[in-house]
Amino acid sequence: MLLAWLLAILAILTLLVAALGVVRLPDALSRQHAATKAATLAVTMFALALILAALLSGWGWGWTLRLLVMVVILLCVLPLASHALGRAGLAESGGTGQGSRNQ
Amino acid sequence: MILLQLFMIAAGLAATAGFYRLINGPTRTDRVIGLDLLFGVAIVFSLIAAWISQSTVYLDVAIGLALTGIAATLSWARLIQEQTAQEHDREKAP
Repeated sequence: MLLAWLLAILAILTLLVAALGVVRLPDALSRQHAATKAATLAVTMFALALILAALLSGWGWGWTLRLLVMVVILLCVLPLASHALGRAGLAESGGTGQGSRNQ
Repeated sequence: MILLQLFMIAAGLAATAGFYRLINGPTRTDRVIGLDLLFGVAIVFSLIAAWISQSTVYLDVAIGLALTGIAATLSWARLIQEQTAQEHDREKAP
């Protein structure tokens, strides 16, 4: 149970670090780097903490199944979304990958 | 339980950061980044709610939020990219 609380505290701290990066970093691409990776890590760690708490408290297997489905969805599809967002940020900041490199 | 309420307050701080970036981001990409962070904070909120109330209904809410957030980020990113390309072409044209 202590491990579950420790993981949850680490997850919340990571979420705060992601929020700090979104506020303080100077560039759109670096802000996106902070938000996507750290926030995904925070959500995944909190889900793992909740899995541990549910298993140790004996709340049944529905918790574990649903949380595992959520983590798998997040980890599979979130790189696609962040890649598209990074391409959009790159195109908007001027140096696009489509033909304007030889300006 | 007090620790869970502290988690709620910390997630609220992160949501404040997301709203700040959503409201006065300089570019459109920054606003979508704030939206992305807000979806993550909402997922964490519903996980905390599931932990407090010990009912699995909030986990279904979290799964739905994850799917919606990913679809929203993808479609906004495509929209921004196409719009930027159009503006770029308009600037280039004589």
